[in-house]
Amino acid sequence: MKKNIINVGIPSKGRLRKDILKIFKKNHLNLISERGERDLLGSIKQLKDVKILYLHAREIVERLGDGSLDLGFSGYDLLKESEINIQNKINVSKRYDFGKARLVVAIPDPWIDVQTIADLEEVAFEFKDKKKKRLRVATKYPNLTREFLFSKGVTQFKLVGSLGATEAYPFTGSSEIITDITSTGETLKANNLRILKDGEILESVACMMSSKSSVKNPEVKKIIKLLSKN
Amino acid sequence: MKSKNLSENILRSVKSRGFKYINLSSIIEANHIVQRSGENFRKFIFSFTDQNGAELCLRPDLTIASCLRYLENNLKGKEKIFYSGQAYRKSQNKKDSIIRNQIGFEIIGSKTEKNDDKEIITTSLKSLQNIKYSSGTLTIGNVEIFNLLISKLDIPKRWKLRLLRHFWREFYFNDLLKRLETNSDVDPTIVEIDKIRYFKMLKEDLTKVIAGRSIDEILKRFNNKIKDPRRARKGKNVSKLIKEFLKIKCPINKASIELNKFFKKNKINLVIDQKYLPTLNNKILKLNVVFSASFGRQLEYYTGMVFKIDIKSKSKNINIINGGRYDKLISDLGSKKQVAAVGAALNLNY
Repeated sequence: MKKNIINVGIPSKGRLRKDILKIFKKNHLNLISERGERDLLGSIKQLKDVKILYLHAREIVERLGDGSLDLGFSGYDLLKESEINIQNKINVSKRYDFGKARLVVAIPDPWIDVQTIADLEEVAFEFKDKKKKRLRVATKYPNLTREFLFSKGVTQFKLVGSLGATEAYPFTGSSEIITDITSTGETLKANNLRILKDGEILESVACMMSSKSSVKNPEVKKIIKLLSKN
Repeated sequence: MKSKNLSENILRSVKSRGFKYINLSSIIEANHIVQRSGENFRKFIFSFTDQNGAELCLRPDLTIASCLRYLENNLKGKEKIFYSGQAYRKSQNKKDSIIRNQIGFEIIGSKTEKNDDKEIITTSLKSLQNIKYSSGTLTIGNVEIFNLLISKLDIPKRWKLRLLRHFWREFYFNDLLKRLETNSDVDPTIVEIDKIRYFKMLKEDLTKVIAGRSIDEILKRFNNKIKDPRRARKGKNVSKLIKEFLKIKCPINKASIELNKFFKKNKINLVIDQKYLPTLNNKILKLNVVFSASFGRQLEYYTGMVFKIDIKSKSKNINIINGGRYDKLISDLGSKKQVAAVGAALNLNY
């Protein structure tokens, strides 16, 4: 059955939303929301069959994965953090040059003996052998963090899920180290944290993504083409 | 799953060697697994939360379930046990079955380790007699020999520990060897900057804890690290030597000769005698028996003798039995004392 309405997901808040809205503007596509800026639904004046949904950037990836969104804008980091069965159902149609950020491993700055992941691996084993507990890593990105640390030899750790203000975790007794997304590193520095020399997990940018189930739809192709110009 | 008859015959063979049948719990606390094998193992387990919020999982491995039974029942002394059942593990290889039908047998808490190693191999061979095959190989290794070699090398202690910790992870281990060959693992410019900080921190309250580590602990490790740098040339030689050692593969009756020749050639003060090898027969049943210095890397918990039996049946190569010694597993799972353990598992999924 042909899908009549094309669902497009745009981040509902933050810097990413602003930058994405600019893309529409640059391409002369006017977004309309009947109930103003806080409306979570919208449309495009020039494209009658398109419905805009303003969602959390993480949810955009999920909804592209289950096919309820045809097209969406989110961060590459969030796509790579999602479960593999979700990633397999999503195409990256365009990488933008904004939304640049790095997912990094950060440790308390006074840990002067720890400069590299190899040092961290040793400290993690010291935690296990001498303190009989595992090094706790607070993060909003458990999948990427787990894969990265394991690939670098750090096998003895425990992930602590964080929903925000991760930088404070090592100093409130909730974790020993963190992984977090950063663009300049200033927030980490201000919170007495230091990025490890080889501690970059992933480089992220804002992306236009499409659900693989919608990719053959000519209307979706048309919108991808339109929004890929800038 | 193979025929019921086959598994019953194998179970009978194991029982005839004096092993006692035990039942194992299908569900175990996920924490036990993660605590022992690290967070990454989580992706292999089928876990869920019970009504009290405890995270449980289907047993991914019968050996871990058996060691937990020994620990939780506060058992002491020698036990010769066997069991059969399913282990449930996710795999990145789509062809692998998530349900693994196994028969396992173990000797736990015994003090006659070398004899027990032999007995586990003999029991494996006895079980194998129930299976039709045309030829095969019994590969034997010993993690202890690798550990002894590393202890004799001229590299900083932290590097020795690193190599020992990661022997079982072949890919990462090779990466470590590459790093060992490079110039330095301590950045001198950063060390100079941090030295200023070091002297400042020395004046602080050394008992003060920063994210789980005391200042004293941080400074001691910093000091050890900068006082024990690794020389590039030595690193290259050591890496070459380890690679050569891992290539040693020969009929089992030549193993000690080959190993000792290698140690002598490289001026390593080590002599390996026959006690490290559970057999010296090059041919047992239809199996060729070989020693491999690099074998024993498939599981983190092996600490000594390791072996596998591969057979050829109807032109198919089948890995039928795997086993080895895991003396640290029970203490890793929470026992205050180290408990010797050796065992093997027979794969019924072929």
